[in-house]
Amino acid sequence: MNRYFYIDAEGKQKGTFSPEELRQEGIKRDTLVWTQGMEQWKRAEETDELRFLFSGTYNSPPQVTVESSATIPQPMPKTWLVESILVTILPFMFCSSVLSLLGIIGIIYAAQVESFYNRGDYAASLESSRSAAKWTKIAMWIAIGWVLLLIIAVVLVFVFVGSFAGVSDLLNT
Amino acid sequence: MHKGVKIGIGAAIILLIIAALYIFYTFNPEMQPLFPKCPFLLATGYECPGCGSQRAIHSLLHFNVGAALRYNAFMVLALPYIFLGIYQEYLGGKKRHPKIGKFFFGRWSAIAILLIIVAFWVGRNLI
Repeated sequence: MNRYFYIDAEGKQKGTFSPEELRQEGIKRDTLVWTQGMEQWKRAEETDELRFLFSGTYNSPPQVTVESSATIPQPMPKTWLVESILVTILPFMFCSSVLSLLGIIGIIYAAQVESFYNRGDYAASLESSRSAAKWTKIAMWIAIGWVLLLIIAVVLVFVFVGSFAGVSDLLNT
Repeated sequence: MHKGVKIGIGAAIILLIIAALYIFYTFNPEMQPLFPKCPFLLATGYECPGCGSQRAIHSLLHFNVGAALRYNAFMVLALPYIFLGIYQEYLGGKKRHPKIGKFFFGRWSAIAILLIIVAFWVGRNLI
């Protein structure tokens, strides 16, 4: 078996590898390869000894998944724009402007989801979507906890003031 | 998410809103010391974009729109927008009116809202 040089995606010459090692390197059908005895560089699929790498049974799994994810269009990840806008505006009502800062971080990530997706960068889009979800959810849960605390405080004071008024009523009579 | 869990969360949120509305209706935030004070106002002496919104809600619940606008015009004007957002996201508005959702809750509207908040913030402290 010959040992081959190949040109990687960045145009660098690498080698030498046996055909089996070439497969582990993840070479593609159109990767240029050369070995002793060849007059010039050839596409891997045109090389007799390497053709088996690309026949159906020998197709390496990672290559297949890369191809399928590139060809099947994916729906845009959830942008979280509505939620992040809501958690930015609503906390102002309860005097917790710190939460609005979290919401603004959420908005920035949420806006990135759409632009990355339009640019075709699905992975970055998904990443932004996750970050937006994270910040929005953090802000939302803190807000819910804060509102709950306020309600408990109001009820407690209400009960306290009520019982105090009752006691003073008793003392007066 | 489970349907039961969803209904439970929805019910809890509605209960919270009713409780908050009741409190805001019954007590006047201006008179009662127990309402939360704005940490930004306390720290700097300047009003934050949300200052006055509790008094505004109290006034609104008593149908006093003029006072509400004076307390916090931004929050009063933002309320319909907030309701639109909740409708779009949670009550099925997204499928029925996808264009409205794209227009009001797109990338550029988010940036516009941030700018409006900052403008209101600066403006209310200057005037």
